[in-house]
Amino acid sequence: MPQPVLLRHIREPDQADIHAYERRGGYAGLRRALRELSPEQVTDLVDRAQLRGRGGAGFPTGRKWKFVPKDAPVKYLVVNADEGEPGTFKDRTLLEGDPHLLVEGIALAAYANGVRTAYVYMRREFYQARRQLEKAIAQAYERGYLGQRILGTDFSLDVYVHPGAGAYIAGEETALLESLEGKRAMPRLKPPYFPAVMGLYNKPTVLNNVETLCCVPWIVREGPEWWLEQGPPQLYSVSGHVNSPQVVEAPLGTTARELIERAGGMRGGRRVKAFYPGGTSSRPLPARHLDVPLRHEELAKLGSMLGSAAVIVMDETTDMVKVIARVCEFYREESCGKCTPCREGTVWVTQILDRILHGRGRPEDLDLLASLARNMTGTCFCPLGESVPPSLRAGLEDFRDEFEAYIRAAREPVQMPVRLHLGAPAPGG
Amino acid sequence: MLSEGAKREIGALRARYPVAQSALLPALLRVQEELGWVPPEAMAEVGRLLDVPVEVVAEVASFYSLIFTEPVGRHVVQVCTNVSCLLSGAEAVRERVERELGVRAGQTTPDGRVTLLAVECLAACDQAPCMLVDERRYGPLTPEAAARLVRELD
Amino acid sequence: MSREPLSTVTLTIDGRTVTVPRGTTVYHAAQQLGIEIPIFCYHDRMPPLGACRMCFVQVERMPRLQTACTLEAQEGMVVWTESPEVVEARRAILEFLLINHPLDCPICDKGGECPLQDNTFKYGPGASRFVEPKRHFPKALRLSPVLTLDRERCILCWRCTRFGEVVAGDHALKGHDRGYRTHIDTPPVTLERPSKFIGNTIAICPVGALTSGVYRFRARPWDNRSTPGVCTHCGVGCATWVDARGGEVVRVRAREKPEVNDIWLCDLGFFGYDYTNHPERLRVPYVRQDGVLREATWDEALERVARALERAAPRVGALGGERLTVEEAYLLGRLFRALGSNHLDARADSRFAPSPRDWVWGAGPFEALDTAAGVFLVGCDLTEEYPVLWLRLKRALDRGAVGLAVAPKRLEVEGYLRAAVVHQYGAEADVLYAVARLVAERQGSVTGPLREVDVDASCRRAGVPREAVERLAQYLSAVAPVLFAVGRLSWDGPEPERTLAAVQTLRAVCGGDLWLLRGKGNAVGALLAGLAPDTLPGLVPLDDPEARERLRGVWGFEPSREAGLAAPAMLEAAAAGQLRVLYVAGADPARDFPDGSLWQRARAGLELLVVTELFWTETARQADVVLPALSSFERPGTVVNLEGRPQRLAPSRMGPPGARADGDILQLLAERLGRPMDYGSVEAIWEELRRVAPGLELDRPYGFTRPQPEVDVRPAQPHDPGEGLVVIPASPLFRKGEMSSRCRGLPDLAGDAAVGVHPGDAAALSLTDGVMVEVDTGAASARVRVTVTDAVPPGHLLVPVGFPEFPRARWAASGRRLRARIRVLEPAGRESR
Repeated sequence: MPQPVLLRHIREPDQADIHAYERRGGYAGLRRALRELSPEQVTDLVDRAQLRGRGGAGFPTGRKWKFVPKDAPVKYLVVNADEGEPGTFKDRTLLEGDPHLLVEGIALAAYANGVRTAYVYMRREFYQARRQLEKAIAQAYERGYLGQRILGTDFSLDVYVHPGAGAYIAGEETALLESLEGKRAMPRLKPPYFPAVMGLYNKPTVLNNVETLCCVPWIVREGPEWWLEQGPPQLYSVSGHVNSPQVVEAPLGTTARELIERAGGMRGGRRVKAFYPGGTSSRPLPARHLDVPLRHEELAKLGSMLGSAAVIVMDETTDMVKVIARVCEFYREESCGKCTPCREGTVWVTQILDRILHGRGRPEDLDLLASLARNMTGTCFCPLGESVPPSLRAGLEDFRDEFEAYIRAAREPVQMPVRLHLGAPAPGG
Repeated sequence: MLSEGAKREIGALRARYPVAQSALLPALLRVQEELGWVPPEAMAEVGRLLDVPVEVVAEVASFYSLIFTEPVGRHVVQVCTNVSCLLSGAEAVRERVERELGVRAGQTTPDGRVTLLAVECLAACDQAPCMLVDERRYGPLTPEAAARLVRELD
Repeated sequence: MSREPLSTVTLTIDGRTVTVPRGTTVYHAAQQLGIEIPIFCYHDRMPPLGACRMCFVQVERMPRLQTACTLEAQEGMVVWTESPEVVEARRAILEFLLINHPLDCPICDKGGECPLQDNTFKYGPGASRFVEPKRHFPKALRLSPVLTLDRERCILCWRCTRFGEVVAGDHALKGHDRGYRTHIDTPPVTLERPSKFIGNTIAICPVGALTSGVYRFRARPWDNRSTPGVCTHCGVGCATWVDARGGEVVRVRAREKPEVNDIWLCDLGFFGYDYTNHPERLRVPYVRQDGVLREATWDEALERVARALERAAPRVGALGGERLTVEEAYLLGRLFRALGSNHLDARADSRFAPSPRDWVWGAGPFEALDTAAGVFLVGCDLTEEYPVLWLRLKRALDRGAVGLAVAPKRLEVEGYLRAAVVHQYGAEADVLYAVARLVAERQGSVTGPLREVDVDASCRRAGVPREAVERLAQYLSAVAPVLFAVGRLSWDGPEPERTLAAVQTLRAVCGGDLWLLRGKGNAVGALLAGLAPDTLPGLVPLDDPEARERLRGVWGFEPSREAGLAAPAMLEAAAAGQLRVLYVAGADPARDFPDGSLWQRARAGLELLVVTELFWTETARQADVVLPALSSFERPGTVVNLEGRPQRLAPSRMGPPGARADGDILQLLAERLGRPMDYGSVEAIWEELRRVAPGLELDRPYGFTRPQPEVDVRPAQPHDPGEGLVVIPASPLFRKGEMSSRCRGLPDLAGDAAVGVHPGDAAALSLTDGVMVEVDTGAASARVRVTVTDAVPPGHLLVPVGFPEFPRARWAASGRRLRARIRVLEPAGRESR
């Protein structure tokens, strides 16, 4: 197995120690960039490395950076450290295990984009990660990798850590910016609020995920060709019914079967029933897709997505109805409430699923769920609401028998609300 | 209501941003570190310190799960109930903790010791099932281990 | 090679092409084709939100449905508003909205004018698939005395919260919590000023979530007869729709008028109509006999008045005008001039009465606010005086205009201004002179009297830090044109002449127009129609030969050339027995003229005091003849707003049968006096007025001329330090006046009167917030609660004049400083709230 790149130093002691980081070659990328490369050249390296965003959207990073107007006087870099996609823990792992890698990545991205102020929006629950990162930032200032006139050049950068306060929606980039501006984390209209052009305080803003930025020092240090030869390195968070849940670094396109093996295999030697390839926002796939390369294109063909590359593995004992109900409940709880289909749809869907789980399902509920899944597709303001239909569709198509079993076993009729004296429920519209 | 130290730190937080309102969440969290929660007078003070109308402070605070606008216990325990933890026995952990504390998730023990919250993914699925006790994370937990942890809180 | 982008785009909607300016949304482009795309959250006075998802359209080559209200029309776009996908999506969105919406239509006030009903009927599912329990919340929550919330009906369109943020800036309603738990409410933590604009949220709420607590259950919209009207409470002259049912006014709504009020009203306008139907309306005339007022016939009452006027002419005078129409004001002027008197004054509540030829109340076109680079408020508490003007100003500030203010109290809207200075009462001139001096310094030319201005001494006298004044000067040096607006706090302040001189000085240095924001109702119209002591109708000099000739032509006589007495002088003359008869038309000088003892002496000296009124005001109680009049809802006529813009009133109800319009009263009196004023119609009076008063044009701002700005540095008047706190007479919008106290909801919005004291003074006087005190000026006293607030400068007492406890007659010094002592009524140590 090739040596990991991103996770290479995760388990070493003195993870936040800048001297240890430097000894391992840390900040060499930044040195190289500041001494030999123009900002455009740094962007070019990232572009040629075909780096795609690791937060979930998979947008090509180089292209994103090129959207930022070159001559705008004030620009910001915002790091999305709000890792909230269920099943994802690779950013936390990087923050706790190799914070300087992120600091260097931030500095390189800031340099490439003419940014002088960067904010790391970090979810509140990452107490340990925050301490690590703040330690690393302080050391970087001391050593002159941050602050005024870095390494004796004209490049200056300030980095601040900014806490979230418990809202998954704040991981959506425009909602994150709202939250950073001290408002309710409600997503913004695009256009015109494309962050690269109208972002933080309506200024051009580079917004990148933690892992994405951690790739940059390696790309600059070793070059895009080397980077691509390594896989390129992709972090998969593997959890669920595996023996050793962990972040697995593997080439982009590794299969679920291989990842499960790397994560110690299935608990109790049981068989896989299903897995989420890209967090709960992706469509869960049945076991017959264990050998699909986990890459953007292949997963899209299956109606799923790579997303945050969080592989949640479910074995044959799993109650898929329960899991899908819990997933829909998650989106209901985290919905910001702005748009109708998400706010109301998540409530209705979870009510139906709850009823089914508690022995009060009806046969027509399955078509109703399918209809609601259609009604929530392509109608929501932001991707949060759109994350409910994939699980519903998988449930109704690939695991329908489990739903039908609940409905067949239903004992109690549907409890009609007391106030409605309409007799039988109206026929489905 | 806010200590001089808190006010100073809020002033320092404000200086990090070109727009004062950006310091609102950090300021509220800082207040919470001191008082446990954010009482109305504290909201008004934060609003004054940041030149944000107090009505806006209240509206923003109410959006976020980790800003407590009602009093909480001396300790806040957050049990993850999302999928990976669910698959690893989070339900049993949660039930055991509820039994140990004598409250349901979302409630505070009558003696004001612990507020128990059932929360969404904590990004610690490699330690599933897990929970946060104040700022410390524990996992993978057995129901008994979780119960012992909360029992030992003072 | 670059191409200039076209300034228009052409697109196709439902097969029809339309060309629109670049930047137009598909929603508006469709509207131009007569295609109404259903919406909820979109409101065109606020930026597009895209939240409700109701306005989906299908656009060729765009894979997802698009929200028309947020999508900018592009050249060559092909849009379908009724494709199967769109139809399905609309049904889906309505279904989502309806699942938790209660089946309240039969008891919901919105029924019949409800966009949710209308859209469901047109686009919604015919039957419900929802069999789950609906969410329930407490219904009919009384959020305010005039606002009722039904949370179950709310579809979270965010219009009301955004109105509070974007349009009014008062954050009156906020969204709490998140997701499906979100609910709209008054903020749980708030500075607790009642909103002045909440009626607008009721109007824009697309469902029956926000409803009027006053209109509740009164009518269905199809029951109502709607008449276009004009609000006459303050002087903005907002256009209204008056809805009447069964002969009663049941509600007032805003009528769209972009030049004046856009689509908004303030809550005084929304809820200030109940008084018309109040049982205390005067219904018969009264005459005083043997010291007691008794009911009389019109014949008897009019005869009494006519005979007295005849005997006393020309030593007769008339006060009032803000409650008259311009036609009535014109007739009043004509009648008294026919009796040889020019003692006419529409300004019945001010001791500062310069010639209207020099200083006439009024503003330029309100639209000037839209393009002003800066607006400087001098002693002008805009949201309390002319609230809807604040909405227009806020819009200008949001677009980048610079807002500045000086006032003896902190303005409610200070947060939106770039610089605001709170100064000692009466010292605005010191601040303005200091600013003028600093601006001149920056311009590099301090000449003439400005050289004598000592900036530091001025700042000390005004009690303001120099940096604050420097800030004002900084802005004024960088921004042009600036609009100066002088308000009531200055006009009625201790030294209005000096203040005006200081404003003129500042204008001489910086340039900029001047508005005098003073006068309620039709006061400006009355002045223009001739109720002024030294001008003819149209603000023309008394001796203008052409004007006199014109009047001779229509009146059959020329007015006296001798200038008449302004209101203060009239009262002095009455007190001295020189003025014998005073005709008070719809004014209440006994309560409102800021010198109560002068009024008492005047009353005592008069042979006859005549009052036309709606209610038993203080003046009516003291009168010899009381004539029941009609309100602005009950008679036709023209009223003029602060802009000098004449607008038409149309009656929407009948007054009490025994009451008469002021115009009728005057015509009847004229006949009895042998000086008939025969006009076939109200229209005929207007036409004549237009002929004799140049510049009056229906629905056009008047175009007031102001004296040329000049540097005129006047020294401050020394004033006794005296004992006690200096009274600042603030006139709150809601103050339980004669009309508003008789409207449901408005007295509760006013609440209890309370005086404002600075924290430093409160500490020194051992006052705590909410404690009950007695305030005493020596001439008057009142018992009220104290509010400790730093909106008041130290050494001052903020008094809400206009409240019954604080009549202007005793508490608004107008040309002087009043001082009040405070005595705590509740013993220390007792819970005071």
